[in-house]
Amino acid sequence: MAAKKSKKQSAPKATSNSSPQTTRLWLMYPPKLITTPVIWEVGHKFNVMTNVRQASVTDEIGVVCLELDGQRPEIKAAIKWLEKLGVKVEPVEINVIES
Amino acid sequence: MEKTEGFMKALKCRECGREYPLNATHVCEFDFGPLEVAYDYEKARQSLTRENIASRPQTMWRYRELLPIADKQPSVGFDVGFTPLLKADRLAKRLGIRELWIKNDAVNYPTLSFKDRVVSVALSRAKELGFTTVACASTGNLANSVAANAAAAGLKAYVFIPADLEEGKIVNSLVYGAQVIGIRGHYDEVNRLCAEIAGKFGWGFVNVNMRPYYAEGSKSMGFEIIEQLGWRLPQHTVVPMASGSLLTKIHKSYQEFIKLGLVAESKYKVHGAQATGCSPISIAHKGGMDFFKPVKPNTIAKSLAIGTPADGFYALKVMKETGAAADDVTDDEIRDGMKLLAECEGIFTETAGGVTVGVAKKLIASGRIPANDSVVLCITGNGLKTLDAVAGHVGKTREIRPSLREFEALIEAESKVNC
Ligand SMILES: Cc1ncc(COP(=O)(O)O)c(C=O)c1O
Ligand SMILES: [Zn+2]
Repeated sequence: MAAKKSKKQSAPKATSNSSPQTTRLWLMYPPKLITTPVIWEVGHKFNVMTNVRQASVTDEIGVVCLELDGQRPEIKAAIKWLEKLGVKVEPVEINVIES
Repeated sequence: MEKTEGFMKALKCRECGREYPLNATHVCEFDFGPLEVAYDYEKARQSLTRENIASRPQTMWRYRELLPIADKQPSVGFDVGFTPLLKADRLAKRLGIRELWIKNDAVNYPTLSFKDRVVSVALSRAKELGFTTVACASTGNLANSVAANAAAAGLKAYVFIPADLEEGKIVNSLVYGAQVIGIRGHYDEVNRLCAEIAGKFGWGFVNVNMRPYYAEGSKSMGFEIIEQLGWRLPQHTVVPMASGSLLTKIHKSYQEFIKLGLVAESKYKVHGAQATGCSPISIAHKGGMDFFKPVKPNTIAKSLAIGTPADGFYALKVMKETGAAADDVTDDEIRDGMKLLAECEGIFTETAGGVTVGVAKKLIASGRIPANDSVVLCITGNGLKTLDAVAGHVGKTREIRPSLREFEALIEAESKVNC
């Protein structure tokens, strides 16, 4: 927590785009990724704190509910990276857009 | 607290059962489970009797003890619901079943879909909680309903849509003066941004922070079915699924009426219907799985095109518990279903209704709904909203010159064909 605070102060400008935030997500993995330490990688590649709240893994699909703490651009980059890998990234509400 | 919150007790996590105050909040802090409204059933039992219900106006609010508002009356959408339940003998004959009923929310008030039920609850509760601006992210029925009901209630409304949505779909929202915001980007990005916006602004976002209240509105469809059947449970109910919420709430409504002694307990099944082009829940159920895999939608049934259904897990549970089936139908079968309902019963439903009829047909043909049983089909939206889906598939106009002779010739040719 202290480390995060000092990060914020050293940031060049504090626009609304670079304030720390907590984002709650559901990740859904295809079978081929289930054995990969995806979350560990996210925590190392990006300046975000990961917090797994719940997880269930079957042969068919892995579902993880994850909290990401960090600057907004870092979180966005982490999400982009996960999507590139083939992970489906949904907000905690899952489908917000309804018909 | 009891007095000011009506018949509601708390918001309760569907996963761990932790309770939360009755605010605009929707997710459990511990496991991210969805929150649901819990009621004081003992208190509700005292006034929610068949006699009292019968004495009240014919709207969904005649069951207000089991709807999540604190005040005695809703402030939004007082006239919503109590749509016709009609015995559809001609359709029953065509599908080969003894008894078939149509619950017709294609004529729900004011925006011609079942969404008016959920929206009137969400907006009434939003007003109670002090919101003056409401919002939703929607590509169709929900947007229309929020825009219309907010206008009538004097609330400001924001509607978020993917920027590539066809113009025709938003006229129905713009006309009410709603602020419609198109978001450019990949569907998933738009979806995540909408969730962020919902969290950031102090608005009543009907299907996000108001969702526990919002979703409860669907129960009124089930309450009405029971009352209109003469206070009995249907053996089979066929329900279209997008997020899967409506199906779970129909089940909850049946359970609540049993619990309150308003209907005798009997075996019932709540079957789920999807379009083959977007059938994550139906695929999972048919495969005996209790979790769905996300899909990319490709179907004419746009109102059911949710590839990652938020309540899919709970819908699967209900179908398993009630021993129900799920199935899905192709675009052609959807159109056929729409035509069948229109030709047999004079009801023009949107593609979601075509899905329901098409799946019912399959379930009856395969014996999963036995021919000797009775079934209710939930028709949830109006065909005028999806004209494009059937245009070019419903026969053609035949033209003649202003000549009686030509018309007589046409009729004569027709009578030859008919014998
Ligand atoms: C016409 C119609 N029918 C059915 C549904 C399914 O609703 P649910 O998301 O509760 O499964 C929708 C949802 O958007 C709809 O618009
Ligand atoms: Zn919980």
